[in-house]
Amino acid sequence: MNRDELQKKIISILEDDFEFAHPGLTDNLRDDHGFDSIDAIELLAKIETMLGFQLTREEKEKAMSIRTINDILDYIEAIQTAHHS
Amino acid sequence: MKRRVVITASSAITPIGYKRSDIIESLLQGRSGVKPLRDDGLLTQHIHSRVFGTVDYPIDYGFTRKDTKTMGPVAFYACQVAKDVLAASGLEQEFITSGRLGVSFSSTHGSPTVQRNIYKTFFSKLPSEFSSIGAVDYLKSMVHTTAVNITRMFGITGRVIASSTACTTSSQSIGLGYEMVKYGMQDAMICGGADEYDTTTVAVFDNLLACSVAYNDRPECTPRPFDTKRDGLVVGEGAGAVLLEEYESAKRRGATILGEVIGFACNNNGGDLILPNLDGITATLRLALKDADIRPQDVDFVSAHATATKMGDVIEAQAINAVYGGRPLITGLKSYMGHTMGSCGAIETILTLYMMEQGFIAPTLNLDSVDERCRMLNHVRKVTTGETRIAAIQNFAFGGVNTCLLIARDRDTGA
Repeated sequence: MNRDELQKKIISILEDDFEFAHPGLTDNLRDDHGFDSIDAIELLAKIETMLGFQLTREEKEKAMSIRTINDILDYIEAIQTAHHS
Repeated sequence: MKRRVVITASSAITPIGYKRSDIIESLLQGRSGVKPLRDDGLLTQHIHSRVFGTVDYPIDYGFTRKDTKTMGPVAFYACQVAKDVLAASGLEQEFITSGRLGVSFSSTHGSPTVQRNIYKTFFSKLPSEFSSIGAVDYLKSMVHTTAVNITRMFGITGRVIASSTACTTSSQSIGLGYEMVKYGMQDAMICGGADEYDTTTVAVFDNLLACSVAYNDRPECTPRPFDTKRDGLVVGEGAGAVLLEEYESAKRRGATILGEVIGFACNNNGGDLILPNLDGITATLRLALKDADIRPQDVDFVSAHATATKMGDVIEAQAINAVYGGRPLITGLKSYMGHTMGSCGAIETILTLYMMEQGFIAPTLNLDSVDERCRMLNHVRKVTTGETRIAAIQNFAFGGVNTCLLIARDRDTGA
């Protein structure tokens, strides 16, 4: 999945499953959309389903620094790269 | 410090209605909320009892995803009745979030629906199924899920009590909330209980031969508290919440006072966890009278626990007779909706308040022929009008827990 396809998919998840209204790539997830720790856990589960494999504990811990949609995309791309290498 | 504690708002979701007017109409018309047991695709086919106290009408919750992401079905019921009492109370937002308002609310065992989905993963070989167990599932299913979803939804920062004691869950919630306010620990408490549709509870009682099975083709004819042809309890679903407030502040702010909690007692049988115990129950009723500092003859109406089990009703009748004699009116409200488990004490308190306000007492449904061992009581056989000044709501639970709440109409006006 390239960056554009990934972006489309993630924004669709955020709009449909997390009820985000007009998500912007640099919006602060918590401040602008009320995204909390419970949402983060749910999103990781959805990312696992999307990628088709389970994330390791270390990979999940790295997600704790995510603040924006761009961060989510960077995070997923890094994981995809690591799994393909 | 001992303060007076009044009820200033209430709401119930029951098998015989949600709106106050619907519930009163059901009581006046003798309308049952017991329906055929819904198929759960798992246990239903193995259960002998095919009846259930069912909430089968739509409820417009209006909750957002932000609210619902930590809620299982039981929390939907709980938050809805809590929302209703806060809306009806007129309490200021500043007070709600001040720490002076607490929550005493629970259910029998959290959300069985969510727990069942978690257990399903044990039978799945897919890693993706296993990884789907998450913190959200715990928050939805944990035993205090109702209480903390209420605090979360409304920003309540006071004390949280989640007394999960099966059939005395919500009568205990109200009693413990009453003590919180009475002794000055909190100025107000949202109290109650809820339980969702759940076949595991039916299966448990079914295996104990405690469920009704003889009326599967006529659900409205069961349960039959105190009747010679009773054959067991009917499990049900629902929720009830009351707002308890310290009397002086409620009066000062002009709140509508629906009633006053004047006494509460809770004890344990100290032995068998299943069988009803005459000494334990009798002691509870007497302890409540002592707490309220009233005489047995001051009580006009007793809302009996009356699940319609063969021995439970007889033991309860003996306890009532030992404490009150044959004077007070007696109704088993479970005859209308079955045993709504963790919510029954709150629902029966609210129905009692409705009847006290309206000046009538509903009869026990399906009481065609009173069991001779229960005949010494003053059973209500038809809608009876008249003033009820003080009512007792009694509930008894697996585990040997007994409770009794004493409720009065507004004592200041003598109403």
